[in-house]
Amino acid sequence: MVTAHLKRFGSVALITLWVAIGAASLILLAQTAQNSAQFGRLQPWILLVNIIGVLALTMLLVRRITRLVRDYRNHVPGSRLTVRSVATFGALVVAPLLIVYVFSLDFLNRGIDSWFRVEIKQGLTEALDLSRAAVDQRVRAHAGRTEQFASSLAYVADADIAAAIDEERRARGALELALFGSGSQLIAASSAALLSGPPERPTSEVVRQVGEGRSYVALEPRADGEYYIRVAAPVGTSGIRRDPRYVMALYEVPPRLAALSEAVQRSYSQYGELAAMRDPLKYSFRLTLTLVLLIAMLAAINGAIVSSQRFVRPVQDLIAGTRAVGKGDFGARLPLPSRDELGYLVQSFNDMTRRLRRAREEANRSQAEVEHERSRLAVILARLSAGVMSVDRQLNVRTANESASAILGVDLAAANGRNLEELAAANPRVEDFLRELRARLGDGREEWREQIELPGDQGRRVLMCACTPLPGGEDEPGYVFVFDDITALLAAQREAAWGEVARRLAHEIKNPLTPIQLSAERMRRRFLAQMNAADAAVLERATHTIVQQVEAMKQMVNAFSEYARTPEMTVTRFALNHLVTEVADLYRAQNAGVALRLELGEEVESVEADRGRVRQVLNNLLANAFEAVEGRENARIGVATSLGGEAGEPVVTIEVSDNGPGFRPEIIDRAFDPYVTSKTKGTGLGLAIVRRIAEEHGGHVEVENLAEGGACVRVRLPLTEAGRTLAGRERRNDLRRERA
Amino acid sequence: MTRAHIIPAALLACFGVATSAFGNALDGVLAVRSAYVNVDSGVFKLHARVEYPETEDVRTALGDGVTLMFDLEANVARERRYWWDAGVVANSLRRELSYHAVSNRYVVRDTGGAIGGRQDSYASLHEALTAIGTVDDWPLLVEPQISPDARYRISVRASVRRGRLPDTLRALMFWSDGWHRTSEWYSWSLPI
Repeated sequence: MVTAHLKRFGSVALITLWVAIGAASLILLAQTAQNSAQFGRLQPWILLVNIIGVLALTMLLVRRITRLVRDYRNHVPGSRLTVRSVATFGALVVAPLLIVYVFSLDFLNRGIDSWFRVEIKQGLTEALDLSRAAVDQRVRAHAGRTEQFASSLAYVADADIAAAIDEERRARGALELALFGSGSQLIAASSAALLSGPPERPTSEVVRQVGEGRSYVALEPRADGEYYIRVAAPVGTSGIRRDPRYVMALYEVPPRLAALSEAVQRSYSQYGELAAMRDPLKYSFRLTLTLVLLIAMLAAINGAIVSSQRFVRPVQDLIAGTRAVGKGDFGARLPLPSRDELGYLVQSFNDMTRRLRRAREEANRSQAEVEHERSRLAVILARLSAGVMSVDRQLNVRTANESASAILGVDLAAANGRNLEELAAANPRVEDFLRELRARLGDGREEWREQIELPGDQGRRVLMCACTPLPGGEDEPGYVFVFDDITALLAAQREAAWGEVARRLAHEIKNPLTPIQLSAERMRRRFLAQMNAADAAVLERATHTIVQQVEAMKQMVNAFSEYARTPEMTVTRFALNHLVTEVADLYRAQNAGVALRLELGEEVESVEADRGRVRQVLNNLLANAFEAVEGRENARIGVATSLGGEAGEPVVTIEVSDNGPGFRPEIIDRAFDPYVTSKTKGTGLGLAIVRRIAEEHGGHVEVENLAEGGACVRVRLPLTEAGRTLAGRERRNDLRRERA
Repeated sequence: MTRAHIIPAALLACFGVATSAFGNALDGVLAVRSAYVNVDSGVFKLHARVEYPETEDVRTALGDGVTLMFDLEANVARERRYWWDAGVVANSLRRELSYHAVSNRYVVRDTGGAIGGRQDSYASLHEALTAIGTVDDWPLLVEPQISPDARYRISVRASVRRGRLPDTLRALMFWSDGWHRTSEWYSWSLPI
């Protein structure tokens, strides 16, 4: 902005300087035309002013042309148009100027030469010769007469000399006649009434010439235009005296002859002065014309460049503005050049960019709102435990949240745009999910909410899935699926139900057992002694069976009671590996035929947990393992502990594996449910209690069938109190989802 | 020197060469040989001897009818120590020299100053130039114009140029007037 102002100020200053120079030159020229005496004084200034003007124009032109060429080479927008305009305008101006210049020069040369034609010079010379001849005739006549009179004076006595001189002057019509002696001493003189005062003293030239014995004859022009003929002749010495004397006479040329001769002289002199100036005059004309041509051409080309640039500048602005708009910059406003068509064009461009800017601002605002809504929705979706996935009609994935990825076990964010068919090929769970979807969508049902079950190696998964068609009609059809893994929920419900059953069993069944048992023992004691041997044997067996079964039922009820009891933990710090070794040794002693291998991580030092319950976990897991490998050759059981981390919290893992038959696939997903077992004996509460204890400690249990055969149960327990908090569990749950 | 400076310099050089094409017509000695003032009845009178160039160009130009103007400028300025001198008097004496072809004589005419209006003719150019270069009893100033306590500087210089040109022609001859020369100042101070 400041640079533009400076440039504008510089241009105005240059124009002002140029106008001032021109005005000064004109004023000086006008002054010299009015008063030639000032010419000599003003001449250098006029010269300086003109030189400054030419130099200023030349420098300006060189600067402009240099900049124009540089812009042309750099392909600056508008430079080619400027160059073309300048070339055209320059040619239109320079060509006529040059033609006028050449013809003017020729005309001036011919005109000036015509002033000095040879005929004029010849005529003047001849007229001059004629005047000379006419005057010379009189001069010679007066000279001869004066010399004759001077000779005659040699014999005139001094007393008669004055009278003789006066008589001679009158007789010859001389203006003055005087006799000078030695040392130019006046001896006698006679003057006409026309002259006043004494006779003029002879000049040194007269004295010298008559001293040499020669006559002095001269035609003397006077200031008033008259001619005098001055003749001085020495008086002869052959007479009565010897001293040197001479006569000096002054004659008047007839006025008519003098006037004519003076006119010829004046014309000759004027012509001579003009003729002497011929070459300088021609040179001056050429130089002046050249200077005028230079100034005119320089000014014209400068003007052409300036006007072209002023014409092109709005076009350049438009080009720059268009480029800026092309780059997305709608903020630039072009300066209005004028009120002509270009100005209208620039105004229209500014209106267009303003509208575009407003439209973009509104679009940006809308987009920002949409983005805001989208981010809010994304946050909501990310925080949802339910999986949300949108697909098009061809079941190509459009959007999906993290929970959807975790539930389906595939990274749906990376699979955006891919078809579920492709994902199903690599992921069995997705394949099951897709099969269920197709089964419902194939029936033409687009809006439904159902529970679907996904079988799998890791266990059966139960999803509550809702399908809703996306709005947008036929152009943008698709579906959004909202599904949640309710496997754990169902398990929890089952667990709660079983807990309730256990409590009722404990309450409803355990109470009558003791009277039954006591009644059976009383019957035995009362009637055993009174019966014969056969009946006594029967009674003995029956009561024994009753007591035994009641005892078994008590154990079962106690187990249910244990399962349903309210958790009350006694957390202490103890060495886990030590506890594992202790429990393992107990089982190893009882089952010598089984290879029990311990792989206890040295990094596992001590945990904060309820020692008794952890012991129960170990007992349950080892009991299950030993029951699983019972009767099997090469039975192997492995117990391993290791230290790891989940969500930044240290977690200890207890892993018990065996090479038994493993879990049946149909129950592996419900292996932790109460009363679910693949064994012929047992209550089916072992793993359920293990999971409950693990969850009471903030941990969790995983089970899997090993590829080489057998099963593996992993119990992950947080190492510290902080890990058992709810937040710690949530973080680990999130991490599990991400891993999925 | 950059390319942008070459063109103006070349134009200036051409211009200088062009304007100096006619500058040698008055070659020769042009100098004030001697000058002094004397006081006569309270009037300071200048006496000067000036030598003017007597060249063949001058002789030819005069024979072709050209008139030459001879100016003698005399300035009297009061000297000041810490400032420029103050002008007291600036006089000019002009004489014209022309060749009278009918009489074959050189005519000298006083056209200005106190002794103006006088005309003399001489048979030779040398005599005419000698007469022009001889200035006697030219009154410069009177005693009341000067202060006895101050010092004065008298400067005299002579110039020659071709005269009697019409103003229009003089303007056109602006570029090529080689018939103009001025001598150096001949200066001295009063009182001595």
